[in-house]
Formats: sequence, C-alpha cells, structure tokens
Amino acid sequence: MTPMLKNFPAFLFAFLLALPLLIACQKSATPKQEIRFGIAQAPLNLDPRYATDAASERVNRLIYQPLVDFDATSKPAWILAHGEAINALDYKFTLQKKVNFHNGDALTAHDVKATYDSLLSLKDSPHAAEFANIDTTEVIDDKTIIFKLKQADTNFISKLIIGIMPKSLVEKSHTFSHNPVGSGPLKFQSWQHDLKLIRTSDNQLITLQEVKDPTVRVLKLKKGEIDLIQGDLPPELVKHLQTMPGILVDTGLGANYSYLGLNMQDGLLKNLKVRQAIAHAIDRQAIIDKVMVSNSRIASAILPPEHYANSDNVLIPYSYNPTLAKKLLIEAGVKLPLKLEYKTSTDAFRVRLATIMQAQMAQAGIELEIKSLDWGTFFADVKAGNFQLYGLTWVGIKTPEIYAKAFGSDYFPPNGFNRGRYSDAQLDKLLAEENWPAVTQRIHTQLPYIPLWYEGQFVAMQENIKNYTPKPDGNWDGLAIIETSATIARQPQKAQLQ
Amino acid sequence: MKIFALSILIFWLLAVLIGQVLGLQANTIDLNAILDTPSAQNWLGADDLGRDILARILEGIQVSFFVAIVVTVITMLVGVTVGLLAGFYGGKVDAFLMKITDIFLAFPGILLAIAFVAVLGAGIGNLVLALCITGWVSYARLARGQTLSLRNRQHVLAAESLGATVPRLLVKHILPLLGSILMVEATYSLASVMIAEASLSFLGLGIQAPNASWGAMLRDGVRYMLVAPHYVLVVGLSLMSLILAINLGGDYLRDKMDVRTEAN
Repeated sequence: MTPMLKNFPAFLFAFLLALPLLIACQKSATPKQEIRFGIAQAPLNLDPRYATDAASERVNRLIYQPLVDFDATSKPAWILAHGEAINALDYKFTLQKKVNFHNGDALTAHDVKATYDSLLSLKDSPHAAEFANIDTTEVIDDKTIIFKLKQADTNFISKLIIGIMPKSLVEKSHTFSHNPVGSGPLKFQSWQHDLKLIRTSDNQLITLQEVKDPTVRVLKLKKGEIDLIQGDLPPELVKHLQTMPGILVDTGLGANYSYLGLNMQDGLLKNLKVRQAIAHAIDRQAIIDKVMVSNSRIASAILPPEHYANSDNVLIPYSYNPTLAKKLLIEAGVKLPLKLEYKTSTDAFRVRLATIMQAQMAQAGIELEIKSLDWGTFFADVKAGNFQLYGLTWVGIKTPEIYAKAFGSDYFPPNGFNRGRYSDAQLDKLLAEENWPAVTQRIHTQLPYIPLWYEGQFVAMQENIKNYTPKPDGNWDGLAIIETSATIARQPQKAQLQ
Repeated sequence: MKIFALSILIFWLLAVLIGQVLGLQANTIDLNAILDTPSAQNWLGADDLGRDILARILEGIQVSFFVAIVVTVITMLVGVTVGLLAGFYGGKVDAFLMKITDIFLAFPGILLAIAFVAVLGAGIGNLVLALCITGWVSYARLARGQTLSLRNRQHVLAAESLGATVPRLLVKHILPLLGSILMVEATYSLASVMIAEASLSFLGLGIQAPNASWGAMLRDGVRYMLVAPHYVLVVGLSLMSLILAINLGGDYLRDKMDVRTEAN
C-alpha cells in the first residue's frame, strides 16, 4: 500500500473538513466585489416623504426617481416626466420612459398621484407644507397626470423632486422608512448595521457603513476595510491621505453655503454699520487657505455663482480690513470693545473656525464670546431666535425661493427659516417680484447673514475604485456608476468583527 | 515612589506658578504654524490653530487646579456638614439626610454632571457647580460613618455633660478626629475632579474656547493623531503624570495618617 492510500481515511477526513472552506472560497471569488462606503452619519429615514437629514436624502436620490431634478446650473431637469404649464394653475406631466419599480410594478401616473396625494394627506410630514399649494391631482391615462394648484406658482416644477413610490405599497402603508421600494439605480437589500444596496443594472453590491469618528474612518480606509469616504474630515487628514500610496483623493468645488446668522432684532446688530464691521473683520481667505480643504471658495450669496439666479450678478466680497471695521464701529457709536456672543455646535471643526474668527475679530475691536452647545440646544436656540450670532451651513439648496424663506418678513419660524427675524419692506417687494439678482444684491448690502464660504468637496478612495467624483452639494450620485476593478490586487480583508 | 510622586507634584505646582508669572500667550493664533512639531519657538510644538502647546498646557493646568481645588473645598464643606449632622443626631435627621445622599449616589456622577451642564450651559462656573452637585456625597457618607462611631466616645460624652453646645462638640471634639481620613479622601477626589473636568471639556461641555483645558486639548489632539501625534501625546502624558502623582500622594498620606493601616 502506498503511503497515500494508507492514509486515505485521514485524507478523506481532512478533505471533508476543508470542503466548506473551499466552497466559501469559491463564493467569495464572485466577480462583483462589494463596494464599501464609509459615511459619518447613517441615514435616519428612507421614506422620501419624511427624510430631512442629508444622509437620507442622498440615499433616497439613488433608491427613488423623482419627476424633476436639477442640472449643473440648478435649473430643473426632467427625469421621469416632461411637463408644461397648461395655464397659470394647471400643469400637465407626461411620463417618458417605461420604468419599473424594484418590486416589479410598472411606474405609471397612478403612482405619481398616490405619492403626492399621500404626501398631502400626511400631517406630520416635514415636506407637506411645500406642497400645500396643490389642490388636486388628476390622472388622464397611465402616462399623463395633471396637477391643479390653488395659487399660481412659477417655481412649481422645481418642487417636484420627491421620489415616486409604488401605489400598491403606499396604499398598504408600507414602511418605506426602513424598507424602501423605488425605481432608482440602487435597490434596497438589507439594513442591519450596514445599509446594503444593490445596483439593478449589474448587481453590484454597495454597502454604506457608518463610522462616526473621522480618524477611525481614515484608518479603515488605509487598512482596506472600506473602499471610499467622502467629506467630513479635517483638511489635515485629507492632506495626509493625499500622501498615502494606494489611496486616491479627488476634490471639487462645493456649493454648500456657510454663514454667520445675525439676530436682526438685537439692539447692536440692527445697525448696518456694525454688520458691515463684522463682515470686514473676518479674514476668510486666510481661513480657507490654512484650515479648509482645497477648492473651498469665498461665498457672497446662498446660491453659488454658477447658479442660474446668480449668473449675471457680480457681488464684491467684503474684504478683510480690521481698520475699516473698527472705524465703522466707531461711526456706529459703539463702545469698544464690542461684546458679541457666538453660538455654535460642539463639533470640533466648527469650534476651531469660531476660535480663528474670534482672534481675527479681536483685531477690529470685537470681543467674540464662543458658546458651543450640544446640537439639540443649539438648534433650538437658533430656531427660537435666542442668539446674537450663530454659524450654520445651508446644504443642497437649489431654488432661489430660499431667499424668501430665509429673509422674507412672512417667514419667521416656524413658517420659514428667517431665524434672524429680518424684516425689510424693500427686500419683500423684490422677493415678490422674484427679481433674484436684485434680491441677492440687496441681501449682500444689508447683511442679514455674514457670508463665509462654500466648503470644497472631496472623496478619498482605494485606487481600484473608478468613476466616482465628488459633487458640489456632496450628494452620492456617483454610486450609481461607481466601478471597482478586480485587476488591482486588494488588500486582504480583515476578520469580520461585527 | 514617594519621591517620584512628590517631584512630579512639585513640578506641576511650579508650572502653575511659572504660568502665573510669565503671562502666557496661550491664545495667540498663528495659522502658519498649524500642528508644527516641537521647535525652538514652540518647545512642545503647536496645536491645530498654531498656538504654543507648552503655553496651553501651563494655562490648562491652572484651570485644572482651580476647578479641582474650588470643587474639592465646596464639596468637602457641604458633604462634611451633612455627614456630621446626620451622624451626630441620628434618627430621623440621619434617615432624611442619608436618603438624599443615596438618591445622589444612585446616579452615575459624571452622567449627572453632563446632564447639569447640558441644562445650565457650558462654562467654567456651571462646570464647577455641576461637579459640586455630584461630588459632596462621598464626604457625607464618610463623615457620617466616622461621626457615628465617635459620637459615643468618652471625650465627646464628657464634653456634652459639661454643657458644650452642639457646634462646639462637632467642631472641637469630632471634626479634628476626622481630619486625617478626610484629607486622604480630598486627595483622591482632587484627582477625580481633575479627570471629570477633563472629561466634560473633552465632550465640549466644559471650558469654552479659546481657553485652554487639558480635556479640550485631548479632544483636539485625538483628531490629529495620525498627522501630529506629538499633540495628543504631550497632553495625555501630562494628564496621566499629574493624576498618577496625586493618587500616589494620596496613598502615601493614607499610609501615614490612617491609624488602621498602621496597626496592621
């Protein structure tokens, strides 16, 4: 007997033991490698009727499809339908393509009606007020729907950005929030700790993994435990990643507007000269150069220069000039140093920026006291008008209506976002005329906000990841076309800890 | 070990004094020196806003000591008073005061402090208040236990029968015997208050920017651990050495002053 045969039972035993292992190996060698995306904050609600946080909206853009979206200049662009105004109050939309929901149902005008009708009937939806102007919706045939409005609204088309949901499930009160069904490029698979989505075109699995701590996110990327990360990192870490072999960093312009909000009811801040002094007391270029990611740029208005409402408008940014700022304060009759309280969240990056502005303003005779509050308290104070100055960022704003909501005198919270309680008859008139260049100009000279910057966008990824670029508003639309090339050897996967 | 602890303590106490004398430029921002490594200009390097880490460490320790000492003195006064009264009078007074103490004891101290700061708002005043509200309990229990056993000592009974008033009994005849054990407790609580202050500042709920605090510096340092490890290391080691020294000092005091250990 050869040694091999003599040990045959042992071999058989070993083979049987190894069998599951071999099968497992075969399984993991499927051509489509999962793409793991590390995000700072997991989505909270995947029902487009309720979603308000940035992560949910970004995921919903991929799971659902709306009637309308925005192009690069933020003009409305047709997605599912083409439409036109029949008269001032009636709009007709025709579905263009044959589209199926992920559950197999065909998307028809009935689904559009069901989505918007349910939105209108929900009292607790944060988006319901936006559509309160819709009187009725009427299905003409499977492809055609008519929206009838209560009042004329020239911006109506650009509001139809809510993802369409299947009628059959809407009627059954399906829990879209944690089990979404749409018609977008990504199909929901599961959501335990990680949110797993499958691309319908090629079955590519995409996993969204929440990793709150920026350092941990960077380490996981370095170790190959995640494939890409986007945004929410201090610029020093981005620069660190740029030097790492095997990691690609791509940056792009941002369109999210950071600003200092002022309380326009405050005795001191009512004075335009004081507001101008604050604007001249901040060296925004120095902050952008030293502590922000590349491609960040000075802002002058909520909507960026490439936005259509802003295109012919030249706004001259307020220069850094502490001497002028001091002079303005003295002209305003303020006793120096001027003491102001600045509220911000406990986020370390926000506190860091606040500290720099504090030092810069000191040069101009402004003594800024920083109050960093936990998010709940901070945001409640901002909404209640309980502040002198606060710092926030507008994310994903596309329509010029934001100017009315943020500065119109009819839009004090809770009706809108005029948190500084700014009331200006001349601006109200321009808003009513929808004369956006004049509106922007007026806001720029009156300074109910001190404009700061649009923070640059960036994405850092393993070098085998392709077709993903950062978008100006930080959305994750690139996941619809992202590719991973199997040709480049991947680092071995770490043992699954969770 | 004793010398080691003592020398670190003296070192940090000197640091407090030096900081006072020198008039530190701990808040001077230099955007060109962000996260610089140690150099002739910045001996321990610069932080995420280009401020001198050494100056901020020295300013931070002043804050640390200030908070720790104020909180320890206040909590000791409150706690010892409650404990003495409860132990001396016993009965319903004791039951009532101890019930209150138990309620406070039932909460995790740091969580209660976080809740207080969240409600009251951040800042050094509220931080001291929050730590005081949670810190007096241990003194109260300790003082009560000791007072219970001292209450019926011969010299106390003798003084009482000679007509000594209650305050006189408490202050002259009972408190002096509590001195040593309270001293040891105070040393330990000094260290724990420092940690608590650092923890709250770490969470962004303590000392407000731009004032330096070790907790806040640690928080910032952790964010840049990958690119500027010197920042978090310097602050972490400082905090560790100080707390270690205080605790070793406490051990030493206990060995010296606690009669029970000596008898063993």
